Amino acid sequence: MVIVEIPIGPQHPALHEPIMLKVRTEGEEVVEVSVNTGYNHRGIEKLLEKNSWVRGMYISGRVCGICNAVHMQTYVQGVEKLMGVEPPPRANYIRTLVMELERIHSHMLVAAVMAEIIGFDTLFMLLMRDRERVMYLKELVTGNRVHADIHMLGGVKRDLDEVRRDRILSELKIVEERIKYYMKVFEEDYTIMKRLSEVGVIRKSEALRLSIVGPTLRASGIKSDVRSDDPYAAYSEIPFNVVSRDEGDSWARMMVRFGEALESVSIARYTVEKLPQGPAIPKTIPRATKPGEVISRVEAPRGELLYHIVSVGGANPYRVKIRTPSFLNILNTEKVYIGHRLADVPVIFASYDPCISCTERVMVIDEKSGKKTYVSMRDLARVRVG
Amino acid sequence: MLKLPGILSTLGLEGMKAIRYSPWVMHFNAGACNGCDIEVLAALTPFFDPERLGVKLAPNPRHADIIIVTGALNKKAAERLRRLYDQTPSPKFVIACGACAISGGVFSGSYPLFSRADSVVPVDVYVPGCPPRPEAVIYGIKKLLDRVGEHGGD
Amino acid sequence: MEINIGKFIFKEISPRRYVALVTPSELREAVEAVMMEESYFSSLTAIDFPKEGKIELNYIFWSVKHRAALILKVTVDRSNAVVPTIIDIVPGALGGELEAYDLMGVIFEGNNKLRRGFLASEDVVEKGIYPLRKDSGV
Repeated sequence: MVIVEIPIGPQHPALHEPIMLKVRTEGEEVVEVSVNTGYNHRGIEKLLEKNSWVRGMYISGRVCGICNAVHMQTYVQGVEKLMGVEPPPRANYIRTLVMELERIHSHMLVAAVMAEIIGFDTLFMLLMRDRERVMYLKELVTGNRVHADIHMLGGVKRDLDEVRRDRILSELKIVEERIKYYMKVFEEDYTIMKRLSEVGVIRKSEALRLSIVGPTLRASGIKSDVRSDDPYAAYSEIPFNVVSRDEGDSWARMMVRFGEALESVSIARYTVEKLPQGPAIPKTIPRATKPGEVISRVEAPRGELLYHIVSVGGANPYRVKIRTPSFLNILNTEKVYIGHRLADVPVIFASYDPCISCTERVMVIDEKSGKKTYVSMRDLARVRVG
Repeated sequence: MLKLPGILSTLGLEGMKAIRYSPWVMHFNAGACNGCDIEVLAALTPFFDPERLGVKLAPNPRHADIIIVTGALNKKAAERLRRLYDQTPSPKFVIACGACAISGGVFSGSYPLFSRADSVVPVDVYVPGCPPRPEAVIYGIKKLLDRVGEHGGD
Repeated sequence: MEINIGKFIFKEISPRRYVALVTPSELREAVEAVMMEESYFSSLTAIDFPKEGKIELNYIFWSVKHRAALILKVTVDRSNAVVPTIIDIVPGALGGELEAYDLMGVIFEGNNKLRRGFLASEDVVEKGIYPLRKDSGV
């Protein structure tokens, strides 16, 4: 049988971000998938070397718009360690609150995208509508809907007052109800079960060798969460459960995310109720660091986020290495697609909660260097000169 | 194919009218951090309800009337933005959404960056912000439609 | 505090971060030992030190069993940066190796997927420079 190569992306209705999956199929069956990236490269690691410690904070937040607060947290907690600054407890609680709100809206977003991909448009619209409540909460706490920018070296930029605390608590109650409802939909709906279960299975035995992280790893039965294994911010004082499942398929990944979103609601409620007294906004901003290196880890909505920051003293970082969760989750799971139908490819891909802007800050792929002659539908349709 | 300039210009005017009442929007991510993208996505969902203006998300450049460009334009994406722009049927309009698409934003000066969005395609409306709120995105579309109305619609 | 894995001794540098210095020839053995401890590959950082003429490679693993980051530090010569590949032991390390090759110019022997232009943009590749090296001038 003839093997046909079908490019999915970079501009594709099923993908909201620029990435290219080269899918080689034999009939309907997928025989090979290669991930081609490179449409989102911004050279951030080099940019961080050129800018000062304080400016780097804003650049690191703009690695990714969805998980910006966790990126800032990772950078800031690493730099604080190098500077010998300890943030006050109240600041740590506010940071935790913002990061958990971000986790809720990120998990709702991927559930919405998944609903859209499987053709369940009503669910997509409903999820997006209720996600606006979380965005409103984020705006209430930080002043911005997307880029929180609430972190500051040695504290936070904005304090929380009593009025806003009460509004957060009442909104969280509605959000929790809605998440429980959508979790039930994903658990019981016949179409969703048909499309997601037993699709894109990653077994527990191979999960660690493949080096996947986050909800994708926890859905394969390995309880590894940075928040409990390597506590940062206020997580050592907050009680919460690590959600995991054993199925390892796309459905399990979605259910882990819903379970986590519910945990996040309770963490957010805890931080608001038990917010310690004292200052949260630093009076002075430190500018220079001691020489040394630090490996800073944070649990982003998509998994373990790691910054390796090296300083030789002075006003600029010497080297900042950013390893985002999607970088591992997207690149290491090419083999999972094999044997599935073509229509399952976007489902499996979306179940990793891919974040392209995270992955590609260091990636550019040359389209022309592929030596093989591809027989793609699009190329056949469009004869290019030269 | 219709190659006569006279017919084309008439089509253009009719097309202008059509766009005035139901512009289809295609969203192109040229290297954004996702901040603008989720806001554009949020702007196209029922909470903000752009369908009252006739705005609908088009999956394909060949169906689109308006291209919303987000993100700092890198060298690789610049080539593709131009190609997508050429594939879009006339009349077509471009909205540069967010600080990065307008000027490069925090990424300006980085080595893989090409330039601003308006160095590759003509931009009609700039929506500033990092990221712009969904209301701002809808306001930008409305501004564009008003301008189209002055020239082509009624 | 120390963790002993096989013949390798990991010394604690900060809470839950353990470092072992290895030579390029010992690397594969060390990675095999680390992977026996329920670890996953987390990151590969290449750091350029032009004054010393060295490139330092940090293989960062997270051990679920020890709840600690196990870091293997390998130092190679800047002009002849060659280390053996580990992707046959840990397939998850592919992204890290491709990135380090393209942006820092470290060659991983035995990894046939390495190619220029995988990460750096076309004009950078044509000039033959590695963007993250300190003297690249980009």
